[in-house]
Amino acid sequence: MRLTLKLSLDWWSVIAALGAAAIVKSGILPHVPW
Amino acid sequence: MSQPIVISTKPTPALPAWIGLLPGIALLAAIGYLGKLTEQTIAAYGKAHHLALPNIEYVLWAILFGLVVSNTVGVPRACRAGVATYEFWLKLGIVFLGSHFLLGDVLKLGGLSLIFVAIELAVSIALMTALGTWLGLTPKLTSLLAIGSSICGVSAIIAAKGAIEADDEEASYAIGAILLLGAFSLFAFPAIGHALGMSDHAFGLWAGLAVDNTAEATAAGALYSDTAAKFAVLAKTTRNAMIGFVVLGYAIYWARKAKQQGVANKAAFLWQKFPKFVLGFLLISILSTVNVFSKAQLTDLANLSRWAFLLTFAGVGLQTNFGELRRQGLRPLAVGAVGEFAIAGITLALLLGANRAFGL
Repeated sequence: MRLTLKLSLDWWSVIAALGAAAIVKSGILPHVPW
Repeated sequence: MSQPIVISTKPTPALPAWIGLLPGIALLAAIGYLGKLTEQTIAAYGKAHHLALPNIEYVLWAILFGLVVSNTVGVPRACRAGVATYEFWLKLGIVFLGSHFLLGDVLKLGGLSLIFVAIELAVSIALMTALGTWLGLTPKLTSLLAIGSSICGVSAIIAAKGAIEADDEEASYAIGAILLLGAFSLFAFPAIGHALGMSDHAFGLWAGLAVDNTAEATAAGALYSDTAAKFAVLAKTTRNAMIGFVVLGYAIYWARKAKQQGVANKAAFLWQKFPKFVLGFLLISILSTVNVFSKAQLTDLANLSRWAFLLTFAGVGLQTNFGELRRQGLRPLAVGAVGEFAIAGITLALLLGANRAFGL
């Protein structure tokens, strides 16, 4: 038996972006190149 | 709104579902990166040989390489699920882009966009309805084309399909017409913009108002300039935020026509249809406005946005198959094409007028 939290694609994009922004803010990763 | 928690009683598969997405995501990354490398290689060659080569952005290369794969060998079956994630990368890129807008600018520009969006909505719906009726399309297909051209292409059509109980065939006709015209506008819009000498601001607003699918609107803006891409995203996002109101209006109209009970809880319906990534965009914009991020961190977020868009643009090309679009019939395409050209012309005239009056 598995507990699944169903979120829409929109919410996943918000969560992923906020997670990435938190990582950038924390300074764990060096500069993101382009 | 709280999301439902689903208790699954199915046996756990041997591999998690997300692993099936990896080949397609790798294909998106490879094609996008190839586009970036091509841009850099051509620029380096021109510099080394003192040649004035045109600067063709990675955006166009990524889309072109995607189109070549999709329309020649086709997207391998193992990659299809991953390629479909391009919409996720698009939304992720837009949320990151919020870091480059101060909240005051969002409200000011969003307010300005809102006026243009209101005019664009009224014109698109009236025009598509008149054309669809004149050319004898089914009323529901006409409604879908009107919704698709006024709001945001594919997602609006999918949202409206259930709400007005249109059938799959009608939805795929409407989606085909919107996608084919989106692909055309990618190449036509920047050329027209350059020919008219439009500013980044005016061009971005035009792309955001007149190109229907969010990915193509962003790409058309990015093909013009980075600044134009930002304005295109802002105008398009404002349009997307209107999706609930337009779909709700059509849902009520069709329910009344069929003498069925309409939408019971209108606020819940509006929230359900509201594109939630807009909230993420606003949140990141608020965080930037209150100086949560340093200048270097803002650059990092802008670069993350570019990487996310790189995958999106590869996906735009990979998802466009001209053979399939052609098979979906000519009449919806004719209505879509005539309507879209008229909408593009009207919004262009509107923006050029506003540019002259207010100096955009």
